[in-house]
Amino acid sequence: MASEPVARAVAEEVGRWGSMKQTGVSLRYMMEFGSRPTERNLLLSAQFLQKELPIRIARRALELESLPFGLSRKPAILKVRDWYLDSFRDIRYFPEVRNRNDELAFTQMIKMIKVRHNNVVPTMALGVQQLKKEQCRTRKIPTGFDEIHEFLDRFYMSRIGIRMLIGQHVALHDPDPEPGVIGLINTKLSPIQVAQAASEDARSICLREYGSAPDINIYGDPTFTFPYVASHLHLMLFELVKNSLRAVQERYMNSDKDVPPVRIIVADGAEDVTIKVSDEGGGIPRSGLPRIFTYLYSTAKNPPDIDGPSEGVTMAGYGYGLPISRLYAQYFGGDLQIISMDGYGTDAYLHLSRLGDSEEPLP
Amino acid sequence: MMASEPVARAVAEEVARWGGMRQTGVTLRYMMEFGARPTERNLLRSAQFLHKELPIRIARRALDLDSLPFGLSTKPAVLKVRDWYLDSFRDIRYFPEVRNRDDELAFTQMIKMIRVRHNNVVPTMALGVQQLKKDLGGTKAFPPGIDEIHQFLDRFYMSRIGIRMLIGQHVALHEPDPEPGVIGLISTRLSPMLAAQHASEDARAICMREYGSAPDVNIYGDPDFTFPYVKPHLHLMMFELVKNSLRAVQERYMNSDKHAPPVRIIVADGAEDVTIKISDEGGGIPRSGLSRIFTYLYSTAENPPDLDGHNEGVTMAGYGYGIPISRLYARYFGGDLQIISMEGYGTDAYLHLSRLGDSEEPLH
Repeated sequence: MASEPVARAVAEEVGRWGSMKQTGVSLRYMMEFGSRPTERNLLLSAQFLQKELPIRIARRALELESLPFGLSRKPAILKVRDWYLDSFRDIRYFPEVRNRNDELAFTQMIKMIKVRHNNVVPTMALGVQQLKKEQCRTRKIPTGFDEIHEFLDRFYMSRIGIRMLIGQHVALHDPDPEPGVIGLINTKLSPIQVAQAASEDARSICLREYGSAPDINIYGDPTFTFPYVASHLHLMLFELVKNSLRAVQERYMNSDKDVPPVRIIVADGAEDVTIKVSDEGGGIPRSGLPRIFTYLYSTAKNPPDIDGPSEGVTMAGYGYGLPISRLYAQYFGGDLQIISMDGYGTDAYLHLSRLGDSEEPLP
Repeated sequence: MMASEPVARAVAEEVARWGGMRQTGVTLRYMMEFGARPTERNLLRSAQFLHKELPIRIARRALDLDSLPFGLSTKPAVLKVRDWYLDSFRDIRYFPEVRNRDDELAFTQMIKMIRVRHNNVVPTMALGVQQLKKDLGGTKAFPPGIDEIHQFLDRFYMSRIGIRMLIGQHVALHEPDPEPGVIGLISTRLSPMLAAQHASEDARAICMREYGSAPDVNIYGDPDFTFPYVKPHLHLMMFELVKNSLRAVQERYMNSDKHAPPVRIIVADGAEDVTIKISDEGGGIPRSGLSRIFTYLYSTAENPPDLDGHNEGVTMAGYGYGIPISRLYARYFGGDLQIISMEGYGTDAYLHLSRLGDSEEPLH
């Protein structure tokens, strides 16, 4: 625990850095910069992060302290806020990065920061649950819950950006990168291949849970590639296919009829790569559709052990898969749209910008 | 005929007064239940309701037309439409109280004539918008805030749908020998599959005429399923969507060896909605261009109407207004129209139609 004057000094710094202007980076810039990971460039990158990361981290710390409905005081939220304050201090107390040794030490330090924040999503989810429990007890249904949803969208989007910047910088130190890979960016990513991998993963989860899994048919140009972050695309496709498989499985489990396959179509256009994941799982009524994108109505099924390791934790168990997938899509200028046909099935459209010129959204 | 100055002022005062009164919405379900018993007494009540409600709605729009931004109100075409609204307002307001069957029959004839008077409102307004665009120097010079006009047109056309629905329903209830299952303009047992087939046939015929060939249209769904809806509304929307899909596929595959992929229509019946998806592989629309297909301001008016002549067969299609107006029809009874495109592949249009019939008309 920091002493009183130290705590106040840090609070002042957080207040100051939290209102400085953030600087966004585009996918294209990350690729061009990272294609020449010379010592000099890595130094420039570290110096940029040394200024940029505290701004983004402080901004979020300030927000965490001023949430409505008493959310800021929930134990889980306080824990997350402390992670942000610790990380802010770590970077601010790190001396000026001036040479290769400084740079390597700095890189190690931000790598540790990334690990510290691994469980932010489930922990925030727990905080929201704590708030919901309290609201239900007092039977208060405040009208401003949308405010919390908007905050979470901004908060998680910012987290995606911070982790992308850190991850990219760290990955550029890989002495033996795969061909075509620049940091976290695969310059020749095949969406068909990612769709296949994500489908296999999703089917095995379905098999494990239900004992069987619907087929998945994938259509598109197998030779087409474009630059993107493979892990982002995999996360989004996995989530969408998983939802489709579950819907179809639930609908046809106790039926004689043939189980209709899930269909994935990959289209490459001039501006966008669009991936449609279609199922005939019965659909969602129009009135229920907005809910699938909110954080507040999802049920946290597996509350995390906040003090223990949670390495294999996926966001799936918190029902956060869709809203977070949409944030990933929007991060590089894309989008995720879900249209449903009540009584028939659901189509999810993942739009990914090909041009790479979109700057990170900086809420 | 120009009214004299004091008369004009008196009318203007009445328009302002009625235009500020509250509108009363009606649901599809109410129209069906009420219209199921078209007795003399009910028709009288319906006429008395319209006698109060129509002037409110008409006056509201007349006021809107007088106060459009960017000088749109002063364009000749818009002034013409505004005069139609003022004439119709006067016709209803000067009609004496409806107290018996004869009054009611005369009232019904009068509102029938009003409906005919307004037949060409959409192409005439489109001409007015064109006149404005020319003044502003073309689409590249649109000043900020021009969206206001788009929102006005949405409200205006939606209101027109409502007025024409109320009038049309009342008139149709006088039909002495209605088809079984039909209540006014509402088919209580409308088959969306059948509607899809008819719309597809009509759209393919247009495509044939224009290109010499037309892609196939495959329709999937339960052929026995029916629900209550206004058949001409559904036909209009489906015709528009299928027409667009056929054109996209035709343009893409016209000079290609490959076989043109069929347009696919899926009809789904759920608990809340009937959803109709029209899918094509016509190459799609870039994401950056998608919002334009719903605007009025960027469409090209290909066949400017003859303002003083007859325009009976005029469809809205020639003004590029088909998609935004179809969406208004869908929303009128609580539904929606969504269009998603996969650039380089094709486009999917989703028509959501509310089954419950409890949505009140949207009134702005």
